[in-house]
Amino acid sequence: MNPEPCADAGGDAGAAGAVPALDVVGVTVAYDASPVVWDASLSLAPSRLMAIVGPNGAGKSTLIKACLGILPRIAGRVRVFGEDPRDDPSRVAYVPQRTSVDWDFPATVLDVVLMGTYGRLGWFRRPGAKQRAEVLAALEQVEMEDFADRQIGELSGGQQQRVFLARALVQDADLYLMDEPFSGVDAVTERAIVGLFKSLRDRGKAILAVHHDLATVAEYFDEVTMLSRAVVASGPVGRVFTRDVIEATYGGAIGAVRASGDDGRNEP
Amino acid sequence: MSAPLEGLLELDATLFTVAAGATIIGAVSGGLGCFAYLRRQALVGDVISHAALLGVVGAFVLSWLVTGEGSKSLLVLVPGAIVAGIAALLLARSIQDRTRIKEDASLGVMLAIFFGGGLMMLRWVQRGRPSISGRAGLEDYVFGMAAAMTRDDLAMIGGLGALGVLVLALCWKELKLYTFDPGFAASLGLRTQLVDTLLLALLVLGIVIGLQAVGVVLMIALLVTPASAARQWTSRLPVMVALAALFGAVSGLVGALISATELRVPTGPVVVLVSTLVFVVSILFAPSRGVIARARARGRTRRESLGGGAEGAAS
Repeated sequence: MNPEPCADAGGDAGAAGAVPALDVVGVTVAYDASPVVWDASLSLAPSRLMAIVGPNGAGKSTLIKACLGILPRIAGRVRVFGEDPRDDPSRVAYVPQRTSVDWDFPATVLDVVLMGTYGRLGWFRRPGAKQRAEVLAALEQVEMEDFADRQIGELSGGQQQRVFLARALVQDADLYLMDEPFSGVDAVTERAIVGLFKSLRDRGKAILAVHHDLATVAEYFDEVTMLSRAVVASGPVGRVFTRDVIEATYGGAIGAVRASGDDGRNEP
Repeated sequence: MSAPLEGLLELDATLFTVAAGATIIGAVSGGLGCFAYLRRQALVGDVISHAALLGVVGAFVLSWLVTGEGSKSLLVLVPGAIVAGIAALLLARSIQDRTRIKEDASLGVMLAIFFGGGLMMLRWVQRGRPSISGRAGLEDYVFGMAAAMTRDDLAMIGGLGALGVLVLALCWKELKLYTFDPGFAASLGLRTQLVDTLLLALLVLGIVIGLQAVGVVLMIALLVTPASAARQWTSRLPVMVALAALFGAVSGLVGALISATELRVPTGPVVVLVSTLVFVVSILFAPSRGVIARARARGRTRRESLGGGAEGAAS
């Protein structure tokens, strides 16, 4: 890790319009031999909310993990505010699928949200009063401040999701990558999360979220990436989220891969 | 008058070594075992501990080939145990990576091969034509013999235990984070491969430290039983680790004392009996997670819902 200070921190506001929060070019990920995500490209500007939509097995989670560098990609390039996120992971916050962890783990809500401060703390340093205060502030944003000392095993699905969101908020990142933030939450929590997304957007943050409910895409998000192993289309909801594109995404998964794969091979 | 007193003092010194060693082993294995429990690696631990027998006997034979006399010092046998345990685990993983055989099957196969090989080699050492000097007592590694512990062994156990506690204390935050949510840990830029290796090293340490005293067959009990019992009483990780260390220490101490004062009873089974007693009390009587508490809570809920149903029918 390079502790070099961020020299252009003052120029962020000016550069924000020019440099995308997330720039993904030609990313291909494969488990074993078969590609799970094929030649995916998308670009997300700051102050924008983008949904990733697609059928089961379309590679939505895989694409997000590849963007974070958690999964190795066999081709392609990912830039977060113009830089490799592996050089400076502090600008990205990740919200994994709620069901990816064991909620019977012996920890309190406070313990879990404190994990959001670990990246900045680095090895061997322990979270202190300052980090605790940050956690309480984040819990307040998701209306969970009364649950700080609660065992995580006692939470409902919606409360678990709020805890994960609070953990990402504590990271104070500029780009949020979220895997199914609305799965298994009730209507009240869903409204609260959407409200949170919009307030983050208004503060200049960019959010990329895996989303399943086609009916709410236009209401919740500014942009959408339609994924079926390959990117079928990506851009503003009004332009991209059409009947033809949705049918292409959900109808012919294999056809879409072939078409995109051929394009990718002919290009260079 | 002086001879019996001297004998008693001598016995006390031996007993002290055994008691101190068994207590340290129990505390370290019990505490570190919490991470094996939380990562669901009980079977991995069992493979490492069974496979270690081949390494123990192999290291003994190697020391005989080099020096002309087989060494039963932990300084010689523990490295052998570590090498064999990790070799078995890596072989199981490479089978998983190259075939469609699942984790539990590949681990089971490796456990059988290494433990079987270890038993065969042990037989050969004990009955073999060239009589290897110092071979008596090597068979104690199967079921454990805390009474065989020397002062040097105690020093080795203390050193390993201190190392384990130090690593656990220094890297607590990283080990906890990676155990709970490895994907999120990776997204923070944490070097997850390093943490994974560290956790494996602690698991191996928690096993090899007790092989002589508890034995390869039952060492897993000291690793997983105290953690399972501790989890019943608390939902805080630091408390769980401390409780598991306490349960392990008590099991080790009581088990070793019973087996050392009785004539040549293997320590492993006695330690397991004591830790199982703690375990049974815990799963029965622990508040909120215990079997009895849960049955009572279920009964209360049923009564309340029945009451609610009756009201609903009346209105």
